[in-house]
Amino acid sequence: MEPPFPAGLTLSMAAAITTPLAVTHRAAALPRATHDAAWVRWLLTGIALLFVGFFLALPLAAVFTEALRRGLGAYLASFRDPDALAAIRLTLLAAAIAVPCNLVFGVAAAWAIAKFNFRGKSVLTTLIDLPFAVSPVISGLVYVLIFGLQGWLGPWLQDHDLRVIFAVPGIVLATIFVTFPFVARELIPLMQAQGNDEEYAAITLGAGGWQTFWHVTLPNIKWGLFYGVILCNARAMGEFGAVSVVSGHIRGETNTMPLHIEILYNEYNFVAAFAVASLLALLAIVTLVLKTFIEWKHAAARGDVS
Amino acid sequence: MSIEAHHIRKTFGRFTALDGVDLQVPRGKLVALLGPSGSGKTTLLRIIAGLERADPDGRILFHGEEVTHMPAGRRRVGFVFQHYALFRHLTVFENIAFGLRVKRRRERPGESEIAARVRGLLALVQLEGLDRRYPHQLSGGQRQRVALARALAVDPKVLLLDEPFGALDAKVRKELRRWLRRFHDEIHLTTVFVTHDQEEALEIADEVVIMNQARVVQVGTPQEVYDRPASPFVYQFLGNVNVLAGPALGDLPGQHAAAVRAANGHIYVRPHDIEVARYEAGAPGIPAVIRHLHAAGPLVRLGLEQVQSREGVEVETSRAVAEDLHLQANDLVLLRVRQSRSFAEDYHI
Repeated sequence: MEPPFPAGLTLSMAAAITTPLAVTHRAAALPRATHDAAWVRWLLTGIALLFVGFFLALPLAAVFTEALRRGLGAYLASFRDPDALAAIRLTLLAAAIAVPCNLVFGVAAAWAIAKFNFRGKSVLTTLIDLPFAVSPVISGLVYVLIFGLQGWLGPWLQDHDLRVIFAVPGIVLATIFVTFPFVARELIPLMQAQGNDEEYAAITLGAGGWQTFWHVTLPNIKWGLFYGVILCNARAMGEFGAVSVVSGHIRGETNTMPLHIEILYNEYNFVAAFAVASLLALLAIVTLVLKTFIEWKHAAARGDVS
Repeated sequence: MSIEAHHIRKTFGRFTALDGVDLQVPRGKLVALLGPSGSGKTTLLRIIAGLERADPDGRILFHGEEVTHMPAGRRRVGFVFQHYALFRHLTVFENIAFGLRVKRRRERPGESEIAARVRGLLALVQLEGLDRRYPHQLSGGQRQRVALARALAVDPKVLLLDEPFGALDAKVRKELRRWLRRFHDEIHLTTVFVTHDQEEALEIADEVVIMNQARVVQVGTPQEVYDRPASPFVYQFLGNVNVLAGPALGDLPGQHAAAVRAANGHIYVRPHDIEVARYEAGAPGIPAVIRHLHAAGPLVRLGLEQVQSREGVEVETSRAVAEDLHLQANDLVLLRVRQSRSFAEDYHI
């Protein structure tokens, strides 16, 4: 006799998969040999939930608890500090420059890599991954070595009264470098999977290069592009290491939000530190919601095609 | 408009896709480029369209006018892709209108004219009422016809189709290719289509261009290439064939003897060109034993093994003959060759 299917598993699967009916039917029909014992399932599910709770949910809750420890008034007061406002402005500025730069670069690189064959293509593909591979601190140091006072271009910049390191340009450069792969990496596999036929079709119909890009390529990649952009943005606003090296930590001038949080925390100003941190946490939540939405739209669009 | 291609070579690294190909497509004809995969037929079609460049000194002429260096968008070719390549984010209407909308402003027709053109094309390909659908809401055959309508919207002078029926199931494929033939008879647009299916090429083309290993190996009407194949490759490619070795053919009719000697003792015989008779000692014919007998369909297919050489032979015969002779597996029979081909140069096929 087949024992009745345990209700707990059915429920957890139903929660995880959007077509619970089909799944439970199929699972129920499986031979006994493919079932794991109940305690194994409970143990694995338990470990996963504990892990998620401990490493993701708990810190997130802690951020908001700490930020609101002295009440809403103290929380909001933290944002009236001019240094906090300056940090928020600088973070927004850096992201506002870095994200469009990487958007343009990412689309161009993905277009070149996915649609054309050329010498050095594999080198370019590897280089795009470089910012993911090196420590952000090194990314920052590279800019110090190039633009710093003792760096290659330092004396020349000094002579012309230009500041890159310990100033906004350095922060923007470091942010661009660190967030460089997000858009390109998102688009390359997508564009490769779509192939070139639609573009060729547009060309035989008389469309020029730009027309083909705007009317054929871009609509096909828009969800992937949007996804890459929000991930890029999340990282641009949250970057700490590389920006820390080039920033110089000048209060009200070269501190971004993550740097500002660190300073406040080191000064035992916990409420203010967690208040600013809560903004970044909110950004993460908004990013995840957008990401889920895009994946859902994208899956719908892709499912239609095949 | 006629199409001419001269000395077309195309290499991809060390791989030679086309090795000095010449092609003439007379005006208003429906021509099939037929060959196995890797024979270069699609590359040739793409070079004609301008989607690929031939190596230098290859030339493409449309109606006598050189278009070798003209970009694809100005050649006025309608190109239909194997997997349709419809714009997935646009409706059927917008797909067909695309070529009109991307025209330069002074050549671009007005909105009402575009709508009229699209409706006319939808009627032509028998898809009225589907203009608001998206490509993913259409069947394979419908997508193919949308792709055709889209290609025709820009009023092309030649129509090029890459494996137009390759992605369709067998029944739709047959219907659609007959439809394409009737369609061609109505609009008389010079058309080249690529296929690896000899049945398709022989059924609808005015002329068949057979390619193999980067070269054109034979050109002719379907009947010419079927009846007078120029090489063992063509003979084999256009249908099933048996290769019989000379020594087995001791009792071959006299006129074949010389040909068989010239062909190193091999002759090529179609399965339906072999007659089966009950075995009689001393009677002419190749003794063979029936190993398999498939009677599904209009013909009876026999798989036989020659008694002397033990080599296999395939024979097709009518149901009536098979029933008259009471053919059954393991029967000993005599095979008589009605018609065969031999080729002086003996290739391995």
